[in-house]
Amino acid sequence: MKGAHDAALNLRGMTAYIDDLPEPANALQATVKLSESARGRITRIDALAALALDPSVRVITAADVPGENQLGFTVADEPLLPEHEWEYWGQPLVLCLAQTRALARRAAELVRVEGEPLEPVFDPREAAARGEFILPPRTQSSGDVEKAVARASYVAEGRADSGGQEHVYLETQGAFAELVDGTRVRIVSSTQGATVVQRAAARVLGLPMNAVEVEARRLGGAFGGKEDQATSWACLAALGAFVTGRPVKLYLDRKTDMRATGKRHPYSSDFRISADKDGRILSFEADYYQNSGSSCDLSPGILSRTLFHACGAYRVPNVRITGYMCKTNLPSFTAFRGFGAPQAFFVIEAAIDALAAKMGLQAEEIKARNLVEEGDVTHYGMPLVGVRAREAWDRLTAQADWRRLRADIDAFNAAHPLEKLGAALIPNCFGISFTKLPMNQGGALVHVYQDGSVLVSTGAVEMGQQVARKIARVASSALGVPLDTVRVERTSTLTVANTVPTAASTGSDINGAAALAACEEIRGRIIAKATELTGLAAAELSFREGRLLCAGSDTGLSFRDLVAKCHEARIDLSAHGFYATPGLFYDAQAERGSPFAYHVYGAALVVARLDVLRGSYAIEKAVAVHDIARSLDPVVDRGQVEGAFAQGLGWATLEELVFSNEGRLLSDTLSTYKLPDAHFLSAGLDLDFLPESENPRAVLGSKAVGEPPLNYGIAGYFAVLDAIRAARPDARIPYDLPMTPEKALSALSGGLVGTRKRGNA
Amino acid sequence: MTKRSLRFLANDRVVETDRWEGSPALDFIRKDLALTGTKEGCREGDCGACAVLLGERKREGGAAYRAVPSCVLPLAALENKHLVTIEGLAAGADGGLTPVMRAFLEENASQCGFCSPGFIIVLTAWLIEGSHLDEEGALEAVSGNLCRCTGYGSIRRAAARLIKDFRDLPPEPEARLDALAAAQVVPASLPAFAQGGLLEKTAPRPLFTPVGFAVGGGSDLYVRNPDPIPRSGFAYLPADPSLKAITRRGATLEVGAAATVREFFASEDVRSAVPGIERFEGKFASILVRNVATLGGNAVNASPVADIVSMLIALGAIVRIERPEQSGTAREIPLERLYLGYKKLDLAAGELVTAFLLQAHGRPLFNFEKASKRSTLDIAAVNTAIMIELDENRITRGRISAGGVAATPLLLEGASELITGREVTGSLAVEAARAAASEVSPISDVRGSAAYRIEALKRLVLAHFATLFPGDAGIQDAVTKEALR
Ligand SMILES: Cc1cc2nc3c(=O)[nH]c(=O)nc-3n(C[C@H](O)[C@H](O)[C@H](O)COP(=O)(O)OP(=O)(O)OC[C@H]3O[C@@H](n4cnc5c(N)ncnc54)[C@H](O)[C@@H]3O)c2cc1C
Ligand code: FES
Ligand code: FES
Repeated sequence: MKGAHDAALNLRGMTAYIDDLPEPANALQATVKLSESARGRITRIDALAALALDPSVRVITAADVPGENQLGFTVADEPLLPEHEWEYWGQPLVLCLAQTRALARRAAELVRVEGEPLEPVFDPREAAARGEFILPPRTQSSGDVEKAVARASYVAEGRADSGGQEHVYLETQGAFAELVDGTRVRIVSSTQGATVVQRAAARVLGLPMNAVEVEARRLGGAFGGKEDQATSWACLAALGAFVTGRPVKLYLDRKTDMRATGKRHPYSSDFRISADKDGRILSFEADYYQNSGSSCDLSPGILSRTLFHACGAYRVPNVRITGYMCKTNLPSFTAFRGFGAPQAFFVIEAAIDALAAKMGLQAEEIKARNLVEEGDVTHYGMPLVGVRAREAWDRLTAQADWRRLRADIDAFNAAHPLEKLGAALIPNCFGISFTKLPMNQGGALVHVYQDGSVLVSTGAVEMGQQVARKIARVASSALGVPLDTVRVERTSTLTVANTVPTAASTGSDINGAAALAACEEIRGRIIAKATELTGLAAAELSFREGRLLCAGSDTGLSFRDLVAKCHEARIDLSAHGFYATPGLFYDAQAERGSPFAYHVYGAALVVARLDVLRGSYAIEKAVAVHDIARSLDPVVDRGQVEGAFAQGLGWATLEELVFSNEGRLLSDTLSTYKLPDAHFLSAGLDLDFLPESENPRAVLGSKAVGEPPLNYGIAGYFAVLDAIRAARPDARIPYDLPMTPEKALSALSGGLVGTRKRGNA
Repeated sequence: MTKRSLRFLANDRVVETDRWEGSPALDFIRKDLALTGTKEGCREGDCGACAVLLGERKREGGAAYRAVPSCVLPLAALENKHLVTIEGLAAGADGGLTPVMRAFLEENASQCGFCSPGFIIVLTAWLIEGSHLDEEGALEAVSGNLCRCTGYGSIRRAAARLIKDFRDLPPEPEARLDALAAAQVVPASLPAFAQGGLLEKTAPRPLFTPVGFAVGGGSDLYVRNPDPIPRSGFAYLPADPSLKAITRRGATLEVGAAATVREFFASEDVRSAVPGIERFEGKFASILVRNVATLGGNAVNASPVADIVSMLIALGAIVRIERPEQSGTAREIPLERLYLGYKKLDLAAGELVTAFLLQAHGRPLFNFEKASKRSTLDIAAVNTAIMIELDENRITRGRISAGGVAATPLLLEGASELITGREVTGSLAVEAARAAASEVSPISDVRGSAAYRIEALKRLVLAHFATLFPGDAGIQDAVTKEALR
């Protein structure tokens, strides 16, 4: 099957991920020794017992770093290996190398790191009270909230907490590094950003970037977890290779990965919302305490996205919101699909839920009355164009026959004391572009070989989002050649330089556009040659499926023929393409601008079934209507929407990070951290795309798809809440995502004393 | 340490190795055999990325193929068997794609692809087993496999294609295997092995005695110790057929300690002794784990939330303990008395649990309940089982067990005593639930707080009565009232 070449290899077990690559015989296996308390000062590292274990054992510490021992580029707060202090439970302290992985793991157990305890902080509000911030707080506002509240008929306020989320990419973090000619280093990394790794490794090793080659092959999933946090592992492998002169492979076992790496940021937020007597929202205020963890990482960008998405898919005339990046002694929380937006959506959805309770209305009524409309201006001053929120909402409610469904659910609930159904709807409005402006650029290198086959290299890392398949389609349609003559190569810093991470849903927008530019350039040269040879007008000529057409009819010439002619005529059949998303600007001082190229819209509905006796619940039904504009590949987009929804639903109703009071992650295995399995998602997602419409602001009229549908999962939380209220209208339930059977049971039994600490730690 | 060489069929070639038989099979497959299509995703039996097919010749002829998690499997488990990896499946099909792979391709069910070989393996096993070729059966087949990319929609659609295409497979295992080989779902080596070819039969080796340490399915041992260090006295118990047997002698049902959870629930003798017990098979782990996990391992692992133990305690099981090297040393004790404290057992070094004995008279009412975060493939926060023998409406014998509410699995003596001799009524259900809740004092951990466990236990005991007496309005009312009190 065309364009699915990669998938066929996956299915045959032939795709080589990091740990599948053959290793040179002299390769060493690496692992790390993790800290065993949340915060402390290192006094002594004793490696004698580890070194005595086997002659191949090497123990490498901060003192061995030849360059600058620093990974943080925004804030210098992330040493590769700590020199003085460790800042969370599970932080890598030293690197251990040995002949086999089992030996390396045993060596790590034998290394003793002694230290003095320091007082940790885990709660973001407590950190804020102490002034422990990564960067200063940020506030965005529009209109006048005080005035709005003063004339409002209804005001609701409250608190909403959302927990973190472990990525559980099925392939854990890994890297392979070796010296080339004894002076340069080559790294194969499971990273979303080859350049990110290249830059950091160069800094750590004290090398210029041109002496560091980074290759990113196919990843076994990433979801944001390998955007910034693949870097340290790649640098550790490179450090090991640099110090020992031998190739080094590092592939984390699941437990080490779960303990040491960052996850989605937990948030704790306060909100106040006001509305007029008809339920039109007048104002929204929020304070977001982002639990940033031990270092800066991507926290500022994530907070930006939270602030930009504070109002969800709603029109709110008066806004004041503040975000705090609170430094705590937990793993450095990082990018995870949605990148701070789902956290914001949860807060506004909770606020509307609280408002609905005040007004004695259904939350869905309020949502329907306040959807964003064409021409609305966001609270940061961006006019919205091509708005499809209402279109999606209307289509969803019609398709799901919402009024009837609601009535059926109420009737069912009245007849079943021990079983309740609950439902919730959520509208979507998600901005596309990196919130950090300079990141909105990308390059591509396209070669057409003498036989007419095409090779495309870009910065886009293939990690299951099937960006390679989309880029192949872009190249195939731009050159007018069959899809199976196009191959998309892995990402390497040798072929495309200065790439940005494949993230923010922009992978195909940016890299596809860059590939398009390169293809168009080559196509132009070939068409020029064709004009010269045939005397036909360039404007009339086109390629389709590898044939040269003139005004639609075959000229008898093929793409391949012309390529050969070009080569004979010494015409360059390679081109570099570049793309910088146009029209973006943002004034960080004024907190005003247009940071997004466009928005993605949609809406979803989730119905949950609650077992009142046992406190367990299941997803009964899920429906979504989603905007993919004119898709590059609807089959790929369907997989993206289904996958994102599954992760959102997991985050909202199942996946719980549990930390001990001492800051130790207790849910550090797949037996204690539960993500959706096929059974959990057996209801599936009824998915409908909005009618095709061209998006002028992305490649070939398409829209990005990776992150926005994750928000739909939030409806799962409110659906279970709705079911609990059907059983116990008097229940007082804090907005505390994820929902868990324990929390449901607590609500159903009128509150349990001594339930565990909140998941947000 | 004595070295014994091990022989097995790996795809279509015979492999002989003297690697230590306790080494994890996954490492051997990936490193020694260089078959890297089998992935390591967790090394704890929870993701299915490492799934392989394992075929074992049956005494009555033919072979049984099961999907198993190779990360928790000792190398010893491969001996005399047929190991089939994803590469083996691909090699048997034109263009390298079996119909199962093609269904995945057509439905775009492989995104990052890391989980894909595991899914292909378990769905291939599902077709080989062939007994539940419907949507529910497919869901059960993939119960041990995680995919983080697809949300399972495309995988479900791929399975639907397979159901359509293979619904009419012959029911007899041999004919089915031939049909699947003809359709290139499996390579020809499977029917060849099943018919006694490719690997010559060798007599099973005797158990190592004295036993230094025993391994059943490894699904507990290898999770706790993923890199075991070679040591002597390694005994792979399922290799001894006498330890796997499930037999009924008069009113006594004897279940060998090395019988797998799958075999336990499949046994007609077990099903007739405890009517309806098979409904609870799906509450235990995944099909992958059930294919290897043994009853003895469940008991000796001594987890306070061991599910089979909870069931067996309610059923009044007696456990038999022996020293294999000394005949006549057998002793028998009630299962609940095996547990002395947290992970402390009345079991000396070198002693083995060899069997569980159940009384198989009458038709007791039985129910099992489990509270866990995810409803499938999750360890319980709390579990409980109940067994009731009734005379008219009077309980002549009642036993309620509970797990996750103390340092050991428990027989709830108070609640059990309370219900014995009483008429079944709504108020009895409530009294029993409250009694159960008041006789336990759990601790808080990652799976739930102490308060949650107590409340959950109370409600699960109510659920026992609500489930066992669905038509009794008095019970339903009382349970509803108590649940919403
Ligand atoms: C993914 C996953 C899910 C799981 N889900 C569940 C679940 O839902 N419910 C549940 O109860 N458990 C579950 N478990 C735990 C485990 O699978 C079970 O406890 C299983 O029954 C253990 O059996 P085994 O044969 O694999 O044990 P092994 O790992 O082989 O052995 C466990 C221990 O018992 C000893 N041992 C084994 N057999 C004997 C014997 N006959 N005599 C003396 N000592 C012996 C071993 O030396 C070892 O110390 C799960 C495990 C995994 C990996
Ligand atoms: S590696 Fe995950 S089940 Fe074996
Ligand atoms: S396709 Fe990525 S985990 Fe399944």
